[in-house]
Amino acid sequence: MTIASITGIGWVTPMSMGCGRDYKTLTAEAGKLPKLTSRMIFGERLPRFGRLDGYSKLGFAATGFALKDAHLDQWVEKRPIGVIASTVYGCLATDIDYYETVVPEGGAFASPNLFAYTLPNVFLGEVAIHFGLTGAAFVINEPELSGIAGLRMALNNLILEECSIMLAGFCDAGRPESFQYPVEVTPGAVFFVLEKTPGDETLSYGDLDMDIEGTIFFKGAQVQNLQNLMQRCIAVQSI
Amino acid sequence: MEIRRAEIKKVCIVDTAVVTALGNTLQDTWKRLIKGDSGIGPIKRFPVGTYDSRIAATVDDLRPIQDRSIIYDLIGRLLAGLKDIPQDTALITATTKLGIDNLENIRRKKAARAGDVLPSSMPEMVSGKLGLKKAGINVSASCASSTIAIAQGSAMIASGQADAVLVCCADIVTEFTFSGFSSLKIVSPVPCRPFDKERSGLTLGDGAAALFLMSDERAIQEGRKCMATIKGWGIANDAFHITSPAQDGSGLASAIEMALVRGGLQHEHISAISAHGTGTMYNDLMELTAFNKVFCGRKLPVYSVKGATGHTVGASGGIEVALATETLAAQTVPPTAGFQNPEEGAEGMISSKPVYLKGDYLLTTNSGFGGINAAILLERGTNL
Repeated sequence: MTIASITGIGWVTPMSMGCGRDYKTLTAEAGKLPKLTSRMIFGERLPRFGRLDGYSKLGFAATGFALKDAHLDQWVEKRPIGVIASTVYGCLATDIDYYETVVPEGGAFASPNLFAYTLPNVFLGEVAIHFGLTGAAFVINEPELSGIAGLRMALNNLILEECSIMLAGFCDAGRPESFQYPVEVTPGAVFFVLEKTPGDETLSYGDLDMDIEGTIFFKGAQVQNLQNLMQRCIAVQSI
Repeated sequence: MEIRRAEIKKVCIVDTAVVTALGNTLQDTWKRLIKGDSGIGPIKRFPVGTYDSRIAATVDDLRPIQDRSIIYDLIGRLLAGLKDIPQDTALITATTKLGIDNLENIRRKKAARAGDVLPSSMPEMVSGKLGLKKAGINVSASCASSTIAIAQGSAMIASGQADAVLVCCADIVTEFTFSGFSSLKIVSPVPCRPFDKERSGLTLGDGAAALFLMSDERAIQEGRKCMATIKGWGIANDAFHITSPAQDGSGLASAIEMALVRGGLQHEHISAISAHGTGTMYNDLMELTAFNKVFCGRKLPVYSVKGATGHTVGASGGIEVALATETLAAQTVPPTAGFQNPEEGAEGMISSKPVYLKGDYLLTTNSGFGGINAAILLERGTNL
């Protein structure tokens, strides 16, 4: 039994960025993320975008591409669409930058602008404001980034009819250079739009199902991680 | 996987543990809460000379164990209060900054385990200590983190994906968080006064809670007592501002309405509200507006524990749900410490004294940065 259709994909990786329907193939290579501007992503200058930290820009861009791919980027009234984002390092780079403003004068000149972005879910607030999304929006921290737990929760929310549309994905800017820790995460973000009942069936990349154990299937085959799911969705288009 | 409404499983809270500035157990915290005590006092953990406020509700004897963050001492005490957690239990933790004191220590060239800074370390630590088969995940949603963790744990049980879920939450007061909230000018120089017309901001606090959730079927099978039932939950974003709530209360009102629908209840069924009640100007006003909207102007008892426990950020929802099980069991609404004169619109709802409660259903709410709002609807425990 189908739980949801994937109707949009958006991503930013070191090699490419954009909407699922703009690509027929994907290459997976490591590297540095591009410097993101709102004009590059949305075709216009968004004053707030420039104020965001790198992690937030990354998530904002990928969710924006995903919503555009699903034809959900334009809105008049706010909509009950939820977003679940998985991450390992989250806003750690901003935490480090913020604490540098605390140390010199015992907190007297701590930056309120930076502090506001020291919670990893705050970028979801920016996304909600820009795209008028009023569903559940939160972050999941995983020891290693697969994004499956977040996808599972998003599907569960659809099963229990808490939203009719959910976005699920991951967003990670990678390990900050100054932070010594033995877990490496390839920087990037990818989000999927999951619709219980797609408004336009032609937008579907395929259907997702989940068994009682929480194992997720895309077009009948098990989903191992979100990178793999993205590759399979793009491959569907090239057939 | 299609779930019909009739198949949705009942979610029971079968065990709880709490550590706050009021005490190392739920019972100790509850007893002092009912007496109107407050755990707020001078901060001794880090220098506060440059700040307008110098107080918080800290658990003062928390110590770093070797190179670990002090939050591990807090979590260790919390887990000591739990017993008989089966190995197949699923785990969801909730924290905003976990061991962020270790980021401070790293910056100051002190011995510090880097992993403690990452919220994903919390499920690993809890799972390891309890010997659970699966590591679990952490939910981060600012001050609604643990409320959402409870909602997601409940959803897992309701849909049949799990029949036992442990939710653990914790956050601590550090120079990092204290300086940040101070920089936003929302920390009160005096102990916070939720819903009071003289309120001047929040007071931070250390805190941790654990809630062990089970399907009623498994709880019966294992002979566990149902302390309370999670009847409903709701999560909504107000899509308004990243650090200020929408003043029309629309996000919180939506979350409450979702919880009522999930629970199959009308607003008339609700007997009391455990509010977020931070003591900031914007939060308390927004909450009163949302309550007024959903409850159609009905004056029901509303309380906030933050004048006693401080604002424990990501742990606040979990602590408040655990205390709400006591509120329902004792049929007593605890006093709101620090409250004296009601904010406009709060007249007849808040009390500085314990109030008799007659009813079986209680709502708890939390809201946070990023525009997030969450509500949990509890039913008084029954014999299974």
